[in-house]
Amino acid sequence: MHDLDALKAEAKRLLEEGVVEMIIGFKAGDTPLHPQPAFFKTPEEVDQLVYNALCQNNLATYLTRFPKTLKIGMLVRGCENRSVNALVFEGQHPREALYLIGVPCEGIIDWRKIVAQAGEEVISVTEQSDNTILVESKSGFFTLEKNTLLHESCARCIHPNPVSADIVIGELLPEGDPALAREQVAAFAELSLPERYAWFRQEAERCIRCYACREACPMCYCEECFVDHISPRWTESGTTPAGMQGWHIVRAFHQTGRCTSCGACERACPMDIKMTYLTEKLNEDMRQKYNFEVGMDTTTPPPFSTITLDDKSRFVV
Amino acid sequence: MNLILKKDQLNHLLNSWRQDYEVYAPQALQNYTHFLPLQDGFELAFDKAHNTRIPPKALFLPTSEALLKFTKFGGYEQVPLETAPRIIFGIRPCDAHAMTMLDTVFEQERYTDPHWKARRDATLLVGLGCHEPCQTGFCTTVGSGPFNHAGLDAILTDLGEIFLVETLTEKGEQLFTQLETATEEQSKQASEVQQAAAASMPIAFETEGLKEKLDQNFDSPYWEEISRSCLGCGVCTFLCPTCFCFDIVDEAQRGERVRNWDTCMFRTYSLEASGHNPRPSRVERTRQRLSHKYTHWVDQINQIGCTGCGRCVRYCPVGLDIRAMLRKASQLPSEVAHV
Repeated sequence: MHDLDALKAEAKRLLEEGVVEMIIGFKAGDTPLHPQPAFFKTPEEVDQLVYNALCQNNLATYLTRFPKTLKIGMLVRGCENRSVNALVFEGQHPREALYLIGVPCEGIIDWRKIVAQAGEEVISVTEQSDNTILVESKSGFFTLEKNTLLHESCARCIHPNPVSADIVIGELLPEGDPALAREQVAAFAELSLPERYAWFRQEAERCIRCYACREACPMCYCEECFVDHISPRWTESGTTPAGMQGWHIVRAFHQTGRCTSCGACERACPMDIKMTYLTEKLNEDMRQKYNFEVGMDTTTPPPFSTITLDDKSRFVV
Repeated sequence: MNLILKKDQLNHLLNSWRQDYEVYAPQALQNYTHFLPLQDGFELAFDKAHNTRIPPKALFLPTSEALLKFTKFGGYEQVPLETAPRIIFGIRPCDAHAMTMLDTVFEQERYTDPHWKARRDATLLVGLGCHEPCQTGFCTTVGSGPFNHAGLDAILTDLGEIFLVETLTEKGEQLFTQLETATEEQSKQASEVQQAAAASMPIAFETEGLKEKLDQNFDSPYWEEISRSCLGCGVCTFLCPTCFCFDIVDEAQRGERVRNWDTCMFRTYSLEASGHNPRPSRVERTRQRLSHKYTHWVDQINQIGCTGCGRCVRYCPVGLDIRAMLRKASQLPSEVAHV
């Protein structure tokens, strides 16, 4: 549960005092399961601010849309804060032009899990103080345990707290257990090669190439994505197995040392495709081999973003 | 003609159709439902009022398909068309209605798409009306309805233990020759269910004068407002039963000319070879998406190009809701100042 009044008060103060020109947060959606990202430019507009466990987008994805001179305030959870840091490192917005309102995050609810239990016709969703969610749907009232509804990325989250916010509203939470993140990676690695390939195919080949995963990801901000290149063509254009596999594998690879495990890609996917098992493996490798986690600050370069003249692999320089 | 189909006879009937047709019906796939061909021991998943995740347009306009193959020395050969007779069973009225709109695109007098036409001609549509309409749907607002007949060869109404079958075409009638005729009482009961379903759906937005408002406000800040949080992905258009845009690409390595789904929500859709893009941002692309459905279709066929299935509402990753966008549009000024 978040202290919405305190969040609103801080957001209003920032706009009133001219600290920022715009606040990126959430507002109520037109359906109870889907709050919408929102952009507030006046203190009055901030009255519309909502913040709850159904706010499923990584707001950092909007950062690259605005001029670097615009002073932006943003509500950030652990993953969002790290995404912002990664973007600052990549020169996408100066840290001085940002004011981060940090919110310790208890995890995002996967609305599909609510629908699976309460039916699609959900009328209202209320977070209760005892870690349960009261759902009213056409089929009746349901009291659901919040922990059972969390999105998978959130259930294994390592850093729920903002790492470098300008202010933190709410009490800091205990850090997550990296062993949980490892578990999933290890379980996948234990499968035989044909089993892993079958899993990969089953997920990748449901893709309709709508690129919701790309657009939801803060780190996918290329003006021209590799799939849109005409010459050279890096991967097949259609929903052939080669085209879909090509997209999923290269998308994941481009995230090496850049992905903050926020899971926004999976939450955006209209075909319920699992994607984070690929990026989580890369993230685990980054931790194991390079002792690196992206976005913990704005200055440490990701291992694959560094080039030194004494690099062992001469092909780089 | 109104007939009675007992629910426990349904599988038997579907199996009898399988002798002569490939029968597609909604079946579970992962966490959603999908139109898949019936196999032995099939399990239907059509008890919910909701639609399949991917609209049935994909059975006529596949996400990707090869149109021709290149041969050596600059030649090419057509890819043979599969035109086995098919029945799509359990299609919802909104999706069937959408097929009739797409026919106006793909079966024009001067330009008929041979793939589309061959598949349409080979396919019968047996609909299942929505006695419990879905919350995100708004079919009655846009001139369709939970028991709309457009495009269907027959439509079923769920009456508990039985379905009431209304055959709507001669071909549809042929499919149900073994069934008993419905009593007057049963027909009356079905018509009550149908009316109650339609009556339970609120009007989502005002359509009267909407086209004019959108036309007159082409340059309004409204478009920027409604598209601000849009991610620019293809969810709304790819899952839309009336969206039909495609791109034709030569896959040189495969030696194929392929047709892929495309969408006006993508930057590359309107990008010209010169580098100029007449729809440079999500603002213009959102305007295109809404205007196509709510003004251009109206100009062209005098129908709104949306059947209110609600998929775009349910699956938008940022919770954008076309109903709210159009409610807002109806508040726009009717007259804009002349420059």
